[in-house]
Amino acid sequence: MILQLNQVSKNFGGLAALMNVSFQVNRNEVMGIIGPNGAGKTTLFNLITGVLTPSSGDIIYQQQSIVGLKPHKLTEIGLARTFQNIRIFGQLTVLENVMVGAHVRSKAGLWHGLWKTPFARREEGNIKQRALELLDFVGISNHADDTAEALSYGKQRRLEIARALATEPEILLLDEPTAGMNETETTELRDLIQQIQVMGKTILLIEHDMHLMMSVCDRLAVINFGKKIAEGQPDQIQSDPAVIEAYLGKEAV
Amino acid sequence: MDFILNPYYLQIVMFMAINAVLGISIYLTLSTGQLSLGNAGFMSIGAYVSALLTIKAGAPILVSVLCGGVAAGCMALLIGLPVIRLQGIYLAIATLGFGEVVRVIVLNLKITNGALGISGIPSMAVIFGKQLSEVGLSSGMGGLTLQQIANLLVLLVLIAVVAVLVFFCIRVHNSRVGRALAAIKADEKAAEVMGIDVTYYKILMFCLGAVVAAIAGGLAAHLTFYIGPKDFAYHRAVEILLFAVLGGSDVVWGPLLGAFLLTALPEVLRFAAEYREMIYGAILVVMMAFRPQGLLSTQTLRYIKEKLGRSRVNDTSTQPG
Repeated sequence: MILQLNQVSKNFGGLAALMNVSFQVNRNEVMGIIGPNGAGKTTLFNLITGVLTPSSGDIIYQQQSIVGLKPHKLTEIGLARTFQNIRIFGQLTVLENVMVGAHVRSKAGLWHGLWKTPFARREEGNIKQRALELLDFVGISNHADDTAEALSYGKQRRLEIARALATEPEILLLDEPTAGMNETETTELRDLIQQIQVMGKTILLIEHDMHLMMSVCDRLAVINFGKKIAEGQPDQIQSDPAVIEAYLGKEAV
Repeated sequence: MDFILNPYYLQIVMFMAINAVLGISIYLTLSTGQLSLGNAGFMSIGAYVSALLTIKAGAPILVSVLCGGVAAGCMALLIGLPVIRLQGIYLAIATLGFGEVVRVIVLNLKITNGALGISGIPSMAVIFGKQLSEVGLSSGMGGLTLQQIANLLVLLVLIAVVAVLVFFCIRVHNSRVGRALAAIKADEKAAEVMGIDVTYYKILMFCLGAVVAAIAGGLAAHLTFYIGPKDFAYHRAVEILLFAVLGGSDVVWGPLLGAFLLTALPEVLRFAAEYREMIYGAILVVMMAFRPQGLLSTQTLRYIKEKLGRSRVNDTSTQPG
């Protein structure tokens, strides 16, 4: 077990976005989070990555509570994410975007940068090398020197994944990585997710594409109206009456 | 040579250099996307602290200017900590308020001589002249009078300051820190989630911008004999920001270009003095409408570099443009 949520709730004023959600994520598994629009999935991601703080409950990562830690600290200890609405650094080049991801794994400060010390040169070289490898891994290395905003939608999503991987995370949180993609692109992305799993990473995945979720996830948690209504392996979830009700409505008797 | 020796033109070039330093100060603050109008206030702190140190304590100009910078840096840290969480227009208003507070304090303190300001600040040219005559150059050299040599020396000092700052900015821009700054400017939230300590870098650049503005203030004070609270009022804050708006704030050359143009413009437009402010306004409106990123942007530089690179490899490369 690498990540554990204990009775996590989040209220926005009077609105309860999440109520007492608990689940565990095991090391090196792909855990999917599904639920209808507005169920609270992205809120859950924001809580885990420190963008929001829970109103109550605890989030435990590797035996240590991470509630109240700032987002950049969480990245440092091994959580990285992508965004539902792509948030790349548009004016920077594709390569620079990935190199920003390596910031947290590098040290050269103002002084080293100012004098281009041997240490800074070596580190920059390593970061660049690693970033190129990652671009190659997600399949957009031929765009390395393009401005990031010039990339197509699907490639921007891949860039976000490469940037997140550059932070060398233990857990990768992907927020609707296939949104707006066609079928071929979705299939390619599934392969990519499986390759990332082979690398030894743990993946937390939000998606609407059920085919993708059923084929790629080891386990799933289902959220509806801020509550977890089911958790288990894909085949269990598919036959769970509460899940069917949430997605299709109550069966007429 | 005659052109640069003409005291009138010489002074304009010196003001260009001072404004270039101010342009760099706003470039530093803007490099994390912080819209600050407080740099006139920091300039004021730098000017007063250094002027008072040279007059009352007899400190050498170099020391007093640096002390002014340090004082402004400390002040920036003090107000930066609470203010830095503000964004966009809110930060602009808060820093504008800071500038006004500084102005009113300066206006009411005894040591700053209130509204009368401080006059009789030893000027760099006079001090250089004295030192030159001490080493036996009192009658000048190579057809130049002592005063001319001293003035040229002052100009050299100012150009050296600008050069050092430009070097600093370019090196930082191309480093790991520069990349972090660019990321913060592009998308603060995403940068934070990608592991960048946004608060640290924003305060760092806010303080550096303040130090550089204060150095400009200190230098300006030792150029003009006199400083008063009016020199650092609201119009100055806007003027500093204009350097970046006109020239662009992506690359350090932008505010530099803005500073040169906006210092030269009033002189060129002297015949139309009455319409000067109107022309300023018109320039701003046109810039905002047609080129909000300023005259120089990253793309412009990339384009220029490509052009230069292409003309160099034109013979070997057959790639279509």
